[in-house]
Amino acid sequence: MIMQEKWRVYLIIGVFLLILIILPFMSNKYWIRIFTTIFMYTTLAQATNILMGFAGLVPFGNVVFFGIGAYLTGILMVDFGLSFFPALIFGAVVCFAFASVIGYPILKLKGHYFAIATMGVSEAIKQIATNIQITRGGMGFNLPLIPLKIEAAYFFFYFLMFSAMVLVTLATYWISRSRIGYALRGIMSNEEGAKSLGINTAYYKLVAWGISAFFTGIAGGIFAYWYAYIDPPSVFDIGIAVRFIIMLLLGGAGTIIGPFLGAFFIELLTETIWSKFLFLHLGVLGAIIVLVVIFMPKGFMWFYRQRFSLSALLENVRKGKL
Amino acid sequence: MDVLLEVENVSKFFGGLGANQNLTFNIEGGEIIGLIGPNGSGKTTLINVITGNYTADSGRIRFIGRDIVGLTPYVINRLGIARTYQVVQPFVGMSVLENVATGALFGRSGKNRTLKAGLEKANEVLALCRIVDKRNELVENLTIADVKRLEIAKAMATDPHLLLLDEVMAGLSPKEIDDALEIIAKINKMGVTLLVVEHVMKAVMAISHRVIVLHQGKLMAIGNPEAIVKDEQVIKAYLGEKYVTRRKKSGGS
Amino acid sequence: MLFAQALINGILVGALYSCVAVGFSLVWGVSNIINLSHGIFVILGAYTTFWLFTFFHIDPFLTIPVSAATLFILGFLIQKHLLNYVVGPSQRSGMGVFMSLILTFGLARMLENFMMGIWSGDWRTVTTSYTGLSLMIGGISIPYIRIAVCLIALISTWLLSVFLNRTRTGMAIRAITFSFDGAQIVGIDIAFIFSITFAIGAALAGIAGSLVSLIYSFSPFLSTPYLSWAFVIVVMGGLGSIFGAIIGGVLLGVIESLATVYVGPGYQQAIGFIILVLLLVFRPQGLFGKQFLK
Repeated sequence: MIMQEKWRVYLIIGVFLLILIILPFMSNKYWIRIFTTIFMYTTLAQATNILMGFAGLVPFGNVVFFGIGAYLTGILMVDFGLSFFPALIFGAVVCFAFASVIGYPILKLKGHYFAIATMGVSEAIKQIATNIQITRGGMGFNLPLIPLKIEAAYFFFYFLMFSAMVLVTLATYWISRSRIGYALRGIMSNEEGAKSLGINTAYYKLVAWGISAFFTGIAGGIFAYWYAYIDPPSVFDIGIAVRFIIMLLLGGAGTIIGPFLGAFFIELLTETIWSKFLFLHLGVLGAIIVLVVIFMPKGFMWFYRQRFSLSALLENVRKGKL
Repeated sequence: MDVLLEVENVSKFFGGLGANQNLTFNIEGGEIIGLIGPNGSGKTTLINVITGNYTADSGRIRFIGRDIVGLTPYVINRLGIARTYQVVQPFVGMSVLENVATGALFGRSGKNRTLKAGLEKANEVLALCRIVDKRNELVENLTIADVKRLEIAKAMATDPHLLLLDEVMAGLSPKEIDDALEIIAKINKMGVTLLVVEHVMKAVMAISHRVIVLHQGKLMAIGNPEAIVKDEQVIKAYLGEKYVTRRKKSGGS
Repeated sequence: MLFAQALINGILVGALYSCVAVGFSLVWGVSNIINLSHGIFVILGAYTTFWLFTFFHIDPFLTIPVSAATLFILGFLIQKHLLNYVVGPSQRSGMGVFMSLILTFGLARMLENFMMGIWSGDWRTVTTSYTGLSLMIGGISIPYIRIAVCLIALISTWLLSVFLNRTRTGMAIRAITFSFDGAQIVGIDIAFIFSITFAIGAALAGIAGSLVSLIYSFSPFLSTPYLSWAFVIVVMGGLGSIFGAIIGGVLLGVIESLATVYVGPGYQQAIGFIILVLLLVFRPQGLFGKQFLK
């Protein structure tokens, strides 16, 4: 990239971040909440990007870390008296550890079967959470309310999610430019070939999943404190996973901007539809899923690089059709 | 010359099929060994067994004195054995340079390389394999000869002591074959030992110091190229018994 | 005594589990599509029987063919106009295999919401004049309905087996499982066969759903258990094996039944999923089927 282009990119990023920072001061609670949600989904999509965009694995069950992060943060605060930040970090670290442990056998599975196994783990944990005492079971778990006035609380969570989003993006960026990035891309492209070049594929897949789990757990923990109430069906919901996976696909897996594009677009669209046509909103998500999967599985960034060529879209359909 | 690789009584079975049976031979440092044999004689299996893609059912393999049977492929690569694949395995979606850099960042010495050093090493190897000019091309756009060169480059980027080439000349034109032979010779001069599996007879015979012949999983002959070419058993295996009988009748040549 | 009762219950309901699973296994084994809306199809079958019974007072067992036919048509259309667009050449490797997964998931959510919208989330069930009657043997009570359900489930599975082995279309379907490319070479219209296969899978789900309506309560959002049974059974019994699906179904039925008695009712699904994951890791080919590790 020549100097001018690089500076242009930095400028755009800077302006974008600046807008987001100023935004809450200029809008109402409704929009602050919407954007906090968008940041959360961007964080989730970006965390999954590490696994999907670089290692080529689709972890439908990754939402299990969202739930574990949420519950651990809550349990540590309520039952063990920790304050929020330590609880949050600890919860995320446990997610990292858990991913590393179950990752060892599960990452040996290929394709569909990896996805199914992760779903199985998520559903099993959800069931267990519904039945044990410490999580208060199906009744749900109440977290302590943040000791701030409402206005301040909105701002707090807005910037907290914003920070999480920035952090995970920096992590993903760093990975993409490092040895780990090369290893993961090799694994995604051709695992046997990667092994023959001295890459310990099992190790790198574990690391990728661990990092992905960590940030997913962070998002979960923040979510728990934000909503102050969680229950198993809401935080162990595979629907959340599919949502952020679609966002990632739509924006472009493997790109750094992809999660932003996908999350912003889908959340804003859903929010608009929901407020006007309540019953349509799942139909809209379904329609988006169909369109992405059939026309743009490589995402918007790919489409942009094809210079928005319609024939490229049709080519995708042709190649994907039986 | 020191012995680099010792293969002792190695066997590999697939169900009832003995792909490799009781193979025993040594490879000395600095040699180029040709590995020939009719299709299905177990050449690729042997490569897979050496590199750890398959585990030998019995026997021992020692590399620089160290037992390597049972080790995983990436560990064996880090010890200094690299290979190419018969059906090429480039990293699609990445450029030529990135493909080779992956090898440079891992392999035997990759751990200690920074990204920059890795790219530099990759450029060196690309020059060695004569595809520097294609370094920013995506692998999907390469010709078959280029892809084969890329395959060798990736393997060389891992700084191997021993390089196993699995039919790198398949599908190449005579000129491209000569190029490949030059590259192999250069690699050997750099101190890398080579095991070259080939069907292109003239190429193998031209470049090898010694030749191993496999037939139906067993080691049929081992020796220098001139001796192998004249070996009656080898000729029978390749061309059939009738040919040998006919030659004898017509006085031989 | 308790054990024997649990055992019998498990076996009877296990046949139903098999019926749920066998359509799922077929579609997965033939088209490599994991149909996440399979559970929804079961619910649709249940609703078909429920409404026909409630409005037209037709005996539920007689509604089974209707349920099968409706779902057959729905399934055919879904595969032909939707799924066939994501199983083509470019989607057969890399991340492409996930596209059908995502698509069927989205479809499931849409159908779920559609059902919720028009039929509400109220729990439904089919209760006939003979629902409560049971056969008493020793100290064990065996409800007649469950016997009938078990029989019909087994008959449906047997019919599928006959279809696959004795008809041309059936053989075409089996040909694809042996060799995708080979099947194309001999002139089999893959797209059409995929549509038929998916239709059959949906029809079987519909039949299972009709049977479910007689034994369980159901609602649009209670489809997950059926999907999870299907998964576990397919992995347990082996992909593509009908016999495996039967054995797997009965096994699962018995395990769950015993677990309910000796561990507690809430853990049923968790146990199922844990078995699933353990199987995938340790015995991926199940008892009778193809490998899951490529």
